Amino acid sequence: MKPLTTGIAGIALLAVLVLAPLGLPPFAMTLLTEAVILGLFAMSLDLMFGYTRLVSFGHAAAYGLGAYACGWLLLNTGMPMLFAVFAGALLTGIVGLGVGWMCTLATGVSFSMLTLAFAQLLYAISFKWTSVTGGSDGLAGIPRTVGPFGFAALSSKAGFYYFALACLVGGFLACRALVRSPFGAVLRGIRENEAKTTALGYNTRLYKIAVVAVAYGLGGLAGGLYAPFAGFANTELLFWLLSGQVLIMVIVGGAGTLVGPILGAAFFMLMEHQLSAWTEAWALYFGLIFIAFVLFAPEGIWGLATGLATGRFRPASERH
Amino acid sequence: MALLELDGVTRRYGALVALDQVAMSVEEGEVRAVIGPNGAGKTTLFNVITGTVKPTAGTIRFAGHAIAGLPSHQICRLGVSRTFQITALFPEMSARDNARLAAQARHARRWLPFGGGHVFAEAEALADAALQQLGLTAIADRPAGLLSHGDQRLLEVAMAMAQQPRVLLLDEPTQGLSVEETAQAVETLARFLKASRMTVLLVEHDMEVVFRLADRITVLHRGGVIADGTPDQVKADARVQDAYLGGLE
Amino acid sequence: MSTLALLLTQTVNALSQSALLFFLGVGLTLIFGLMRIVNFAHGALYMLGAFVGYSIAAWSGSFWLALAGAPLLVGLFGAGFELTILRRLYRRDAHAFLMVTFGLALVVGEAVRLTWGSDALQVAGPPALSGVVFMLDEPFPVYRLFLVAIGVVVAVAIWQFLERARLGLLIRATSQNADMANALGVDVKMIRSCVFGIGCGLAALGGVLAAPLVTASNGMAATVIIDAFVIVIIGGMGSFLGSLIGALLIGFVQVFGNYYAPDFALAFMYLVMLAVLVMRPGGLLGKEA
Repeated sequence: MKPLTTGIAGIALLAVLVLAPLGLPPFAMTLLTEAVILGLFAMSLDLMFGYTRLVSFGHAAAYGLGAYACGWLLLNTGMPMLFAVFAGALLTGIVGLGVGWMCTLATGVSFSMLTLAFAQLLYAISFKWTSVTGGSDGLAGIPRTVGPFGFAALSSKAGFYYFALACLVGGFLACRALVRSPFGAVLRGIRENEAKTTALGYNTRLYKIAVVAVAYGLGGLAGGLYAPFAGFANTELLFWLLSGQVLIMVIVGGAGTLVGPILGAAFFMLMEHQLSAWTEAWALYFGLIFIAFVLFAPEGIWGLATGLATGRFRPASERH
Repeated sequence: MALLELDGVTRRYGALVALDQVAMSVEEGEVRAVIGPNGAGKTTLFNVITGTVKPTAGTIRFAGHAIAGLPSHQICRLGVSRTFQITALFPEMSARDNARLAAQARHARRWLPFGGGHVFAEAEALADAALQQLGLTAIADRPAGLLSHGDQRLLEVAMAMAQQPRVLLLDEPTQGLSVEETAQAVETLARFLKASRMTVLLVEHDMEVVFRLADRITVLHRGGVIADGTPDQVKADARVQDAYLGGLE
Repeated sequence: MSTLALLLTQTVNALSQSALLFFLGVGLTLIFGLMRIVNFAHGALYMLGAFVGYSIAAWSGSFWLALAGAPLLVGLFGAGFELTILRRLYRRDAHAFLMVTFGLALVVGEAVRLTWGSDALQVAGPPALSGVVFMLDEPFPVYRLFLVAIGVVVAVAIWQFLERARLGLLIRATSQNADMANALGVDVKMIRSCVFGIGCGLAALGGVLAAPLVTASNGMAATVIIDAFVIVIIGGMGSFLGSLIGALLIGFVQVFGNYYAPDFALAFMYLVMLAVLVMRPGGLLGKEA
């Protein structure tokens, strides 16, 4: 697909998303808001998985941490929601620095397992540190506080949707700038041949730690949005199943494309909603669809779409 | 003063002495070959100079800096670039992007997380110049993984050159090439070396290649230097003949 | 209860827990060692084993038949999965396996829920092992002693199989260098199907054996897959002895942690794993990763 066509398609999609609250019934707005939040979450993982080939099996840690941090602030400080969401993201990003430092001690499968172990550690803590996390009940009744200066527009259903959408678009633009920058070029080098990247004189570990921190920060932003969106934060947000699901979203959407994972998240939401309305066994069919994607369409939805648009499938070499 | 100077460089792996008190110096602008039978320690020597392996003892001075034991990315940034015995490229990137990423590694703002048009432009200029030097301009836009073996080896040299090194370490640049490909690659390398006046340290098995490219030759045997001189001196050296023939004992 | 009696019962408890963990870990590590595949569906197959075992026991009235039948059926299922799906992926990178087996975990988990329902099912152990014995005057379930014994038997059997049997030799050769083994005329494809089947069968064995203790439930897959990963990572991916050591370590950490500091028991396991990996990224007996 030519850049121009992609640009027009993107702007058209954005216009539809901006106008959506005018025409959609409330339950659909709820679904769409969640899809936007999950899209941001999936996109954050794509920085690690798609661009750097750092396979995290614990990305739920970022989501859950952001959600708990934001939820705790909203419940206990009465801080404006706008600030609490970003504070949650910041905290998660800082934790991400530590996680990145620790997990990059290992490479390959061991890296994946370390990320998983860290997420499970947080999961274990969330059960036991009852005074802060509410234990197995989680944090409930998280308010969408107004402010600063009594600014209340974000608290309504449509207002919150626009807030989430702004975070997604902002996050997307930031990620796109990152992957197109010199820093992003080094990430691609690490993805294709880390040993060679080191030999060229890059301190690859620093780049990996940085990208983990950024991915955690953005994942934390998504989690921070989820807490006031759903009104609760519970241990499921830290569970490994969510880590697996977000990885599915990235792959089904198209890893290493930023747009793909957003579509993947929307597809996931849609499938969950449609399949669960149609059959009780939605997870079964979802699993089968996922296996089919890995086997037959490793480039994901975005790869299929751009392949169809140009009348051919792009070779892996042209992926960015 | 010599550009690269090794003194008493030793590397042990347990009881095995891979490098034994190696002393040598490489002058600016010289093409120096390091030869020796299998297991003489040639690749270990490269690894020690570039910092992939730390020496057990000894000093290495490069352009006035003591570099023994520094991490490899720091040594690299001081102006030591190398190629590998086994081709190491970014297979999905174009040849130009390979060289550009190499050049970017020397840029002060190589880590810039946004924008960076000027970084890319400067790196690409160096990359294109290096590709030109090695006759790869015509295939610059092809994915590196799809190039011929000979071009892949030359691309590695171009990537090293794009870093504007002060010394270039070539580890068996014709390894894995057919006779025909070797002849072509050696011609290109000889032309390039003559035109660039680059300081080069070269490890090579193929003696024809060595005599074609090198100004001076250092001979390693069982981790130690046994001869050092012009190609003719080395050819005539009795210990060298012993080492090669006696190496089979 | 005297301190000594307490220590003894807890130790035997930990050993029986280690035995269950070992069945999980050893299958995972065998598969990884041979095929460089992380089988995410291992927990789901363990659960499948427990439920299949439940059905066989309910149908035949014999726990022993379930103990033999469930691993066999699940092993065949695993080999079939390797033959039809995994085989297509050997040219792809390692992550494709992780994802396909994750998909399999979803499918198996859901299929189990649809077939056997959402309620936990009580599986009766064999009557001969239902009693208790007294150790230092403390009652102790015979079934747990049986687990320790069968753990030792299986560990020795696998070790002897790998060391002595022809297939074991071929497996070790293929693990070290698949291309070379192939060149020497080893049917690498067949070996892979076998090993994947054996690994899945071992997971199912663990499931059947665990069922009388913990009931067969839909939640068991999620818990044990993490335990299994932790064991294999601590021991070193692909190392048989490593999985044994990892299982013992985690078995003791879990049992003693639960007794002395129940609030932190869950965290202990991950802390042990983090500590091991920070010191030795490849695991205790693994190659440097």
